[in-house]
Amino acid sequence: MSADPLQVLASAGKGKNTRGLLRVIILALIVAAATASRLFSVIRFESIIHEFDPWFNFRATKYLVANGFYNFWDWFDDRTWHPLGRVTGGTLYPGLMVTSGVIYHALRALTIPVDIRNVCVLLAPGFSGLTAIAAYLLTNEMTPSPSAGLLAALFMGIAPGYISRSVAGSYDNEAIAIFLLVFTFYLWIKALKQGSMLWGALCALFYGYMVASWGGYAFITCLLPLHSFVLVCMGRYSTRLYVSYTTWYALGTLASMQIPFVGFLPVKTSEHMPALGIFGFLQLLAFLDYVRSAIPSRQFQTFLWIFAGAAFGLGLLGLVVATSAGFVAPWSGRFYSLFDTGYAKIHIPIIASVSEHQPTAWPAFFFDLNMLIWLFPVGVYLCFQQLADEHVFIVVYALFGSYFAGVMVRLMLTLTPVVCVAAAIAVSALLDTYLSTKSPDPEENQAVEGAEGKKGAKSGLKATNKPMVGVYATWGKGVVVSALAVYLLLFVLHCTWVTSNAYSSPSVVLASRLPDGSQHIIDDYREAYQWLRQNTREDAKIMSWWDYGYQIGGMADRPTLVDNNTWNNTHIATVGKAMSSSEEVSYPIMRQHEVDYVLVVFGGLLGYSGDDINKFLWMVRIAEGIWPDEVSERAFFTPRGEYRVDGEATETMKNSLMYKMSYYNYNNLFPAGQAVDRMRGARLPDVGPTLSTLEEAFTSENWIIRIYKVKDLDNLGRDHSSAAAFERGNKKKKVTKKRGPRVLRLD
Amino acid sequence: MRSLFSLFLFLFAAVATAISASGNRLLAILDNVAEKENYSKFFGDLESRGFQISVEAPKSESLALFHLGERSYDHIIFFPTKAKGLGPNLTPNLLVDFMNAQGNILIALSSDLPTPNSLVSLLAELDIQLPADRTGLVVDHFHYDASSAPDKHDVLLLAPPSALRPDVKDFFGTGAGPDDAIAFPRGVGAVLGSSELLTPVLRAPRTAYSYNPKEQAEAVDDLFAAGEQLSLVSAFQARNSARFTLVGSAEMLQDKWFDAEVSKAAAGEKKMAKTFNREFAKRVSGWTFNEIGVLRVNWIEHHLDEAGATNESNPNIYRIKNDVKYTISLSEYAWTAWNPFTLPGDDALQLEFSMLSPFHRLPLALDAAHSSDSASAYSASLKLPDQHGIFNFAVNYKRPFLSNLEEKNTVSVRHMAHNEWPRSFVISGAWPWIAGLGVTVAGWLAFCALWMYSAPVGGKRETKKTQ
Repeated sequence: MSADPLQVLASAGKGKNTRGLLRVIILALIVAAATASRLFSVIRFESIIHEFDPWFNFRATKYLVANGFYNFWDWFDDRTWHPLGRVTGGTLYPGLMVTSGVIYHALRALTIPVDIRNVCVLLAPGFSGLTAIAAYLLTNEMTPSPSAGLLAALFMGIAPGYISRSVAGSYDNEAIAIFLLVFTFYLWIKALKQGSMLWGALCALFYGYMVASWGGYAFITCLLPLHSFVLVCMGRYSTRLYVSYTTWYALGTLASMQIPFVGFLPVKTSEHMPALGIFGFLQLLAFLDYVRSAIPSRQFQTFLWIFAGAAFGLGLLGLVVATSAGFVAPWSGRFYSLFDTGYAKIHIPIIASVSEHQPTAWPAFFFDLNMLIWLFPVGVYLCFQQLADEHVFIVVYALFGSYFAGVMVRLMLTLTPVVCVAAAIAVSALLDTYLSTKSPDPEENQAVEGAEGKKGAKSGLKATNKPMVGVYATWGKGVVVSALAVYLLLFVLHCTWVTSNAYSSPSVVLASRLPDGSQHIIDDYREAYQWLRQNTREDAKIMSWWDYGYQIGGMADRPTLVDNNTWNNTHIATVGKAMSSSEEVSYPIMRQHEVDYVLVVFGGLLGYSGDDINKFLWMVRIAEGIWPDEVSERAFFTPRGEYRVDGEATETMKNSLMYKMSYYNYNNLFPAGQAVDRMRGARLPDVGPTLSTLEEAFTSENWIIRIYKVKDLDNLGRDHSSAAAFERGNKKKKVTKKRGPRVLRLD
Repeated sequence: MRSLFSLFLFLFAAVATAISASGNRLLAILDNVAEKENYSKFFGDLESRGFQISVEAPKSESLALFHLGERSYDHIIFFPTKAKGLGPNLTPNLLVDFMNAQGNILIALSSDLPTPNSLVSLLAELDIQLPADRTGLVVDHFHYDASSAPDKHDVLLLAPPSALRPDVKDFFGTGAGPDDAIAFPRGVGAVLGSSELLTPVLRAPRTAYSYNPKEQAEAVDDLFAAGEQLSLVSAFQARNSARFTLVGSAEMLQDKWFDAEVSKAAAGEKKMAKTFNREFAKRVSGWTFNEIGVLRVNWIEHHLDEAGATNESNPNIYRIKNDVKYTISLSEYAWTAWNPFTLPGDDALQLEFSMLSPFHRLPLALDAAHSSDSASAYSASLKLPDQHGIFNFAVNYKRPFLSNLEEKNTVSVRHMAHNEWPRSFVISGAWPWIAGLGVTVAGWLAFCALWMYSAPVGGKRETKKTQ
């Protein structure tokens, strides 16, 4: 073995087994990179559950681990939505919790003592590794090039669009759902390609898992029928399609109906009707196909197509009739808002109020996908060139996904996999072309051309006439390849930067920089929740805006009135009304709901933008939706149409409970007359608001969280304002000569 | 467990001697100790009932209502004082705090002496109005004592009060004879606001009125109040059951009126009768200082009332449509001992099962099985509503002169668990579907068998075709 090492290395890549080994090693490295890049949040902060929804998932997981699966299944949660309670076991997607429960118990069985919190925190990074593998498998189905799959795995592993929902601690449904989404698609393509019942059944199985995990399963439910429909329209109906689709639909629907939250929705709601319709349509086609093969006749064929069209039309008509008659529920509001972005704002403020339901701003595409976004159309174009069944899938998915990603920020997540796959196809096509050092032999080629010249003289494109035209020089290839390499490196840099800076903040803990550059942690949320946990009765009911419901339930372990599971709009509107009305109106509402403490988030001192005064208009709007006579959004704007909190604020604003709670005692922090709200840059009036039905119980270090205790009814039967006036030492005015008739007492 | 509990209660009741249900430290505010002599019988009665009386002058330095945040006294009684101010230890805020800490107050007024500012403020907070200082004297030209005030008509003779309403217990006038009269000498009448916590104990007769004795005008242009609107003795019970009584005439508590012989003017004859004052004073002070009309909840118990179920006491969670039994045990304190509480004739004790609003409002019936000598149990059975949520068993019984009962027991009502529904084969409507299921399975198996075991008939033709 005297060959130089370079040659050894080169020849090592040539054997089939070594290539397989290399591929496995590369894939393993990608998985490791995907997992590792999501650990920024743990390193920067700590192993903590992030944001809002994950806190509920974490709490539910703890319940599952503590009480077992059947109790979890039948869980009635009496610590949320007081006093309605929530049938939690039947209104959640249990996939995530069950997955971490299984992992937890498996590790325990292996005598590895883990904390359930760490399982939850690290679940998303772990599953993102699996997603990378799934993307690899899916891409391998699209193109014979082996590099495409690895590139897709790499892109999937580090694309910020996916990382945004899967950093360590982001314990949300999406954490496992994206893996399931991609893997289900892979199995679908596999089933479709082979016409295999086995793969179809596997696809249905993973579809069932997906349904158990995330509400976004409807994306699969709509995409697979659409793909099939497009194939049929292209005249590509085949028994493969028939077998794979019917297997998936029948088994998948059965599987999905096992989830209590989904129940009979697959046969009742409009979102699921396309799948059912295509299922029926395929049956008809199969029947006609059989008939056609039995009786060959041209006229009959045309008749068949008319028949098929009529049946499809009739089915559609039947669906419309069934919908209008009420057998099938019409499209839900969330779906309308997918087609008309203004719909939610007018009709369902509760949906519009969620920031992740807003339409996507265009820089977000570049921010989340970087160079993939311009490689994506190339990949789709390459798919068009081949246009086998699976490429049609990519095209359909690309169209569908792009539209929805444009409508809603959070649906960027469903677009990311197809972008990664398409971009990987494009990059690998480029690399495959330009990395090959072989250049065609001109003479040989001419001979070929000469032989084929006469035959192909009439074909249209020049390039096909002269396959010799192209970049074959080594330096040209080198430039292209190195440019691509630079882009790829920049992509990695961008992804790392975005991950570490934008997506790794737990949002429970805020970080800021001190003038000297060191990190300063603002921990008001946990401070306040800890205060609640230690200083209030265990069943003290906390009223707050619904954003904080899950966190209060998870961190403070106290019952809440409303939380992020916004299942009851009226209840949320009740809280909105209590917040936006005057004390006299709010107090009876709070009494009726047995509220003990009210929690508000106030960013005025720190300049924290996500506070309740900024969200206040949503509370007003949601309350106005239910009580248009009692709450009016207009009354919170000055006559000139401004939303102000300073001295010019409207009387309704100044009297609202939210305003009073936010600014109560705030003046005392400043020298007289210089109280400033740093968030809104407003100078506050000299005299701060007074509260008579509430008393301040706790204010956190940076005033971000303020907690008020609701007073009991006055012991002596006075109203609260006069009782408070008496406390302050104001004597009751003597009732001298009453005007008007005497009020006599009857008893 | 319940029997153990009642045993404990019995022991507790035995230990508690003949004193108030809430303590026996009584503070009397008097100008000087000498004045105490005028009320010696009244005080003697109180002492014989077990009260420890400390007498203090209003501005005394040693006077403090609270010591280290705890009440120093359980009850206060104010007699008229000459001073207009009561000093820094008896400010209205302190008195309100005293009531918020479940202390009881009795105030006796006089038309000759000014009412201290502090008390006027306190009364204003309680929604009681007094005439301006020394300007209100209640007179009645039809119901006066002919022997002591034949000219001034300012000693009223009143019949002992009867029950306020048919559903309210009569604490103050029971047992009085038809000739018994309460003498109300030279007193002040108050006007009660519309607060539901206020109740008049003794109202002026229809013919009485309040006037300013210094003003000698022929016609009264601004009448303070007249007739039954004038409350001579008024009771107030705060939400925490702290009691407050305003007696318009301190003189009626003095020894001379306890045994005085009076003659009713309206009777026309000079028939002398002994006053009812001593008994009335005992009852008024006894009510104020928690000796009568005090209710106590001994225990509350609710359990699943279904055959075959484990009837655990006071579970935290029920299921919708469960049958549940609720029992509450009540005692009433009367002078010396806890007795079973019996409802007045027309009244009903009600149980609410509520979430935001009541889903059930049921009368609680006397449950003799769980009653004892010192407690009576009331119970009701109900079927929980078909609505899950967090519900309260609520008993809210607030009547004049009885201490307030407001009991809330929170339970969760859960939905049906997945295995609590009837099985499909129990439901007759499901039989066609189950049959369909069976037929499909059988048909599929039969078809497979047929398919697998039926050899193709024309083997030759088949091969031809493939070729």
